[in-house]
Amino acid sequence: MKKLLALVAALGFATSAWAGQIQLTGAGSTFIYPAITKWFEAYDSIDPNVQFNYQAIGSGAGIKEITDKIVDFGGTDGPMTEGQMAAAPGKIYHIPLVMGAEAIAYNIPGVGPGLKFTPDVLAGIWLGEITNWNDPKITAQNPGVNLPNMPIIVAHRSDGSGTTFIFTHYLSSVSPEWSSKVGFSTSVSWPVGLGGKGNQGVSGILTQNPGSIGYVELAYAIQNKIPYGVVENSSGNFVEPTVEATSEAASGVPIPADFRASIVNSSNPKAYPICGFSWMLIYKNMAGEGAKGKALVDFAKWAVTDGQKISAQLDYAPLPSDLIAKIMKTLDKISY
Amino acid sequence: MKDLVLKSFDATRLRREIWDKVMVVVLFLCAACVLFILFIILWHLIARGLSSLNPAFFTHLPKAVGESGGGMANAIIGTFVLLLLAVGVGVPLGLGAGVYLSEYAHQRFAQTVRFMTDVLNGVPSIVFGIFSYTVCVLPMKSFSAVSGGFALGLMMIPMITRTSEQFVKMVPHQLREAGLALGLPKWRVITGIILPSAIGGIMTGIMVALARVAGETAPLLFTAFGNLHYTQSLMQPIAAIPLQIFNYAVSPYSDWHRQAWAGALVLIVIVFIINIWAQYFVYSRKRWSAGK
Repeated sequence: MKKLLALVAALGFATSAWAGQIQLTGAGSTFIYPAITKWFEAYDSIDPNVQFNYQAIGSGAGIKEITDKIVDFGGTDGPMTEGQMAAAPGKIYHIPLVMGAEAIAYNIPGVGPGLKFTPDVLAGIWLGEITNWNDPKITAQNPGVNLPNMPIIVAHRSDGSGTTFIFTHYLSSVSPEWSSKVGFSTSVSWPVGLGGKGNQGVSGILTQNPGSIGYVELAYAIQNKIPYGVVENSSGNFVEPTVEATSEAASGVPIPADFRASIVNSSNPKAYPICGFSWMLIYKNMAGEGAKGKALVDFAKWAVTDGQKISAQLDYAPLPSDLIAKIMKTLDKISY
Repeated sequence: MKDLVLKSFDATRLRREIWDKVMVVVLFLCAACVLFILFIILWHLIARGLSSLNPAFFTHLPKAVGESGGGMANAIIGTFVLLLLAVGVGVPLGLGAGVYLSEYAHQRFAQTVRFMTDVLNGVPSIVFGIFSYTVCVLPMKSFSAVSGGFALGLMMIPMITRTSEQFVKMVPHQLREAGLALGLPKWRVITGIILPSAIGGIMTGIMVALARVAGETAPLLFTAFGNLHYTQSLMQPIAAIPLQIFNYAVSPYSDWHRQAWAGALVLIVIVFIINIWAQYFVYSRKRWSAGK
């Protein structure tokens, strides 16, 4: 009994030693997970009194938890729908944190990076109509590449995902068949394929299964050395997913005041067609949350300015400067 | 004639003996298989996990996604905190119910409660997680260590109830009668005589229940939630080894896979220690009851 008391006392002492630090909890998007944890690490030297705990449970779950006010902020790459906004107990701001490209990554024995994909081929593969790597529709675009006679293993996300939202939104905008049969959402009923949980899970499927293809946030493909292809954009150019090609996708696209914009299939001839924003979800009214509101706003302001250099190292595209100015104004409207 | 009878008798005996031998071998193989499975798991864990165990694993926090290094210090502490909380929930309720069933309950009521605890014991662990999410996380507006400990504690209740009921019942009736004859009230008999006599078995039950919930992941997913840092208060999300293993194992990063193996090894060692501890209580039961 004495031992137990001593243990409890020690625990109490240990926890009180940390008191005074603010801990903010966030959940959602796996798309931004590599960037946001990198930011947390760097932000520790800017404000050591704030600790961040972010769990990458998928955009769909992130939206649910912020709506229930279980977490202090959410992360999503698919904007909340009007219905979801109405269901939340207060006004939620979508704060763009980064832009990112989705790589069409694959694992084909003997085939290196840079395979060319047209929108038709991508829709065909995910609709289950193109089932073999030596299908003439794929080989026609890739003369000189020795594509094997191998069945295609299609990978997709199993959880509610903003990455899925961006990808299906892209497919819906290039393929009328996809648009009518499947449509776009954070989770859809997939015609074919294996589901992986999170960008991590899809990357796992890709590294472990020869013949597989999937869509993952670019950082995951690069970090895991999974080869990825170039995709034909709306102007007929084959473009590699890069920071520049993602930035191009946003230039010329009008961004609405609530920042819920889609930049897939951009009309810009230099743009990579499958990219999107990743948003932080914050309540407009953070009063009554103590020091959390200010800490969160300060962090968001740092992330969209100084933080952009850090995320660029992980191949996330920096936000355009005129957009940053608008974001700062919105962040100033948050009350705490 | 006599010869013939003997012969057929011999044949029957031989057949039976062969069958007997064959079945013994089959059963032996089953037993060996059980051992083999345990050893193959252990071997895998040691082969993959041992090389990843270093001081940093026990003292450092996890690194940013995709970066090598770091450790699971927060998850190791988190698991112990969660188990302590689970004991706080599970032991009073389970023990109380066990004593009531053995000492007070009417036969029919006791039968019903016993049946219900068995049902409760079979409830999938994720359901305890969802329950705790609904009654703890949603009203408190936060994932927390408390909600995780609550979910694990609930899981322990049926196991502790059944074992403590059994061990309390095993205390000889004469001891109770002796106590009552000395004029002790019933509650004094229970706290002063019965519980000390049964404490070894009760502790074993608690330890076995603890070992079972120590490795649970599902009830923690939406309660304890996980934490990248040390938890500052019990009302905040907290890391736990099984959660960390789950997150790391599904990731595409080889360094995280390495750490997941190391985490699994640490977890199984913790469970082993608790189990051995439980055995210790069984063997030292006499000493405990003689103590006071």
